Amino acid sequence: MSLVKIKTRINGKAIESEVEPRKLLVHFLREDLGLTGTHVGCDTSNCGACTVLINGRAVKSCTMLAVQADGNEITTIEGISRNGELHPLQKAFLEKHGLQCGYCTPGMLLTSLWLLKKNRNPSEEEIRKNLSGNLCRCTGYQSIVESIKYGAQLMKEKEEEQEMPVR
Amino acid sequence: MSSVRWEDMDTAYDATSLVRGKGHFVDDIRLSNMLHMSVMRSPYARGRILGLKGGMSSADFKGKLASVGEGASPSSALSIEPVFATGFVNYVGQPVAAVFADDRYRSTDLLDSIEVDYEPLKPVVTIDDALNSGPIHSGMNSNVLVEATQGKDFPDPNTPIVLEDILENDRVSTNPIEPRGIVTDYHNGVLNVWISTQSVNSIKTGLVESLGMNPDDVRVMQTDTGGAFGSKGGLYPEYVIAAYASMKYGKPVKWIESRREHLASTNPGRGVRGRVKIFAALNGKIAGMKGEVLVDAGAYGTGSGGFSAQYIGFMMTGPYSIENAFVTGRALLTNKVPQGPYRGAGRPEASYFIERMLDLLADELKMDPADVRLLNMSDKPFESPLGMRIDAARPFFETAVNELEYRREAKLTKGVGLSFFVLVPALYTGESARIIVKGGRVSVWLGGNSHGQGHEVFVKKLVNEELGVPEDIVTLYRGDTKMTMVGEGSWGSRSAMVGGAAVVAACRKLKGDVLREFGNYTADNLLSGSYDEFVNDETRRSINSFGANLATVEIGKMGNVKVKKCIAYYDVGRALNRDMVIGQIQGGMAQGIGQTLHEVLSYNEDGQLITSSISDAGVPLAEDLPNFGVKIAENRSILPHGAKGVGESPTIGVPTALIRAIEKARGKRLRKTPVMPEDLME
Repeated sequence: MSLVKIKTRINGKAIESEVEPRKLLVHFLREDLGLTGTHVGCDTSNCGACTVLINGRAVKSCTMLAVQADGNEITTIEGISRNGELHPLQKAFLEKHGLQCGYCTPGMLLTSLWLLKKNRNPSEEEIRKNLSGNLCRCTGYQSIVESIKYGAQLMKEKEEEQEMPVR
Repeated sequence: MSSVRWEDMDTAYDATSLVRGKGHFVDDIRLSNMLHMSVMRSPYARGRILGLKGGMSSADFKGKLASVGEGASPSSALSIEPVFATGFVNYVGQPVAAVFADDRYRSTDLLDSIEVDYEPLKPVVTIDDALNSGPIHSGMNSNVLVEATQGKDFPDPNTPIVLEDILENDRVSTNPIEPRGIVTDYHNGVLNVWISTQSVNSIKTGLVESLGMNPDDVRVMQTDTGGAFGSKGGLYPEYVIAAYASMKYGKPVKWIESRREHLASTNPGRGVRGRVKIFAALNGKIAGMKGEVLVDAGAYGTGSGGFSAQYIGFMMTGPYSIENAFVTGRALLTNKVPQGPYRGAGRPEASYFIERMLDLLADELKMDPADVRLLNMSDKPFESPLGMRIDAARPFFETAVNELEYRREAKLTKGVGLSFFVLVPALYTGESARIIVKGGRVSVWLGGNSHGQGHEVFVKKLVNEELGVPEDIVTLYRGDTKMTMVGEGSWGSRSAMVGGAAVVAACRKLKGDVLREFGNYTADNLLSGSYDEFVNDETRRSINSFGANLATVEIGKMGNVKVKKCIAYYDVGRALNRDMVIGQIQGGMAQGIGQTLHEVLSYNEDGQLITSSISDAGVPLAEDLPNFGVKIAENRSILPHGAKGVGESPTIGVPTALIRAIEKARGKRLRKTPVMPEDLME
């Protein structure tokens, strides 16, 4: 099968690749780039384990071809911590037990990052509604909802901290 | 040497790596020259294979599937599943052939190169079909795989109230978000296996038996395991095929299940029907119970169908002191994927049968369901006529009714349900643990392997308590048969109990080692030396964990159920970590709601699976679920560290409370899970 050239920016790094036109984005990320934090859970875009951010928006990478990502900026779970320090939302999931087996976790984190970008202070109902494309079989979601609420608070605190020296 | 290059800490359980996207799941493994395997599956529920060309098949490998793991029961030779379908296919999704290529797209392409000619045969799809049709396997006399009785038959008591009902739980797919998967690598005479599993030791035993290998030549290592809920404890045909292929081709082989394959080919749970008859006095006291349990075992005896038929019967008087009981259990062969354990594995079914009858009795006598229950329990320990030992139930239940604020809720709300159960966790046959102390660090392996429960949390705590070493120098590693030569598995609500007890026992052996060497024990003395202790802590004791649930619902015009309250009050023994216990309970409550409201594997009259996605299968969404209320009682168990079982409590207690709440809200007797909206429309 002939290969197609694509240019993407993944976790801040410019990447040029050649891919089979039929290759799904999730397989490109996992197998060509070794970014195995993005998971495959269902093949029918129900479970959201494969969620990544494309140009800041949550997208299920199993419903998209790698060639469709050409020219776009992608953030995977590996790209949300900075200099080895966990993102506040990752810390919140650890502290509030927002995971058990951890398989849905990367998708949960990226979907909630997108939510928190749109809405810095979501209600429980808004959080649950926004998770309708992400399945978790272990937690019953309650600790995930709590993690996201707590993560929102940590993110605000961190922003305020960073704004302080400017004043 | 194994060929996966993971650093030491890469083989430890570590939640931080999971939130970083740096877990070590089986599909994350990449080895040079690795082949990807795809499986050609039967499109028919039942048929004769007239011709087969292409791929690896029963012409290449004639092995049979070993029955290992939770609920494994030896089966007659006639009903053992072949690794590859041989001569006949007996369920949609049964492996017929396998192909291999250097990537998953190309191995999928290769499936087109296989040609199979089938002569479709009339399948046996339902429990009734199984009772009324000839045997699906030639040589058998009927479709009865196992028949067993519990208790002694007794003449019908002469009571004014005799109630009988037929109750059912449909099949539920376990649906962990990570499907099954395996990587095999036959290398220098050793078969190395990496697998998503609840029990490396079961997988090893199964592979050794199915492949006729020397146990010393097989090493099974657990990868991070993304949920299991019962379905990853035993052996499956794909595991044997991948192992055989690695030996045949001299290359590593990877097989990763798709969700559709999971729905079709991974052992689902439930799938039982019970006919239950109770005899009671006008005051509500039950004098006797007779039951008939029918388990839809699926096409082969390699699942847990045979075990279920007996085990459900054993528990069918629940926590109640019923003097006479007799249950006949039969596991029936049908042309569907073999049944297996699903969170509770017989316990939820048994509890469903008796709890539905207690509610019926309350309605018949116009009594409060709590009062009917109270009347039928004892404030002393009781041994049921079915052989189950039950602790004094009444003190717990009285407290539970208060803790759940049931009486207040029953006055306020029409749609309220209350349930009571006793969980008998799987202590038998104990568990193994190995602890190595070296270089100032404590490394631990367990025979039963965590798949999301966070075993590392209780292991660190117990090692700290027993040995006085800080938790941060203690590491629990994932399962590895090289480190625990024997072991059971994580299922049956057992790990914190028996895994915990094994860790405590191994710690005490280490203490003895230090004492002998130094004359006294100190943590410093321990950490200054090198020690290696292994314990296989066998136990035959029995433990009870009581639990009660309350649920309230509202039903919409279209029959859609909104769960308003879902509250648990469970005795968990000593909670080794409260947050982890609450997490287990909340997760199980979601599964209990799922089973009651929308989870089902549906087959049509041809035995075709019509459930085609995880969404169709009814796995609950965040917005389907309420905030759960969890209250725990901590009555220490007889084990040295005081733990009891908890993992399966919610899948036992929630369906029975919830279906009662729906029944009350709608004013219509309900007999089957899942309760569909069309059953409830106004």
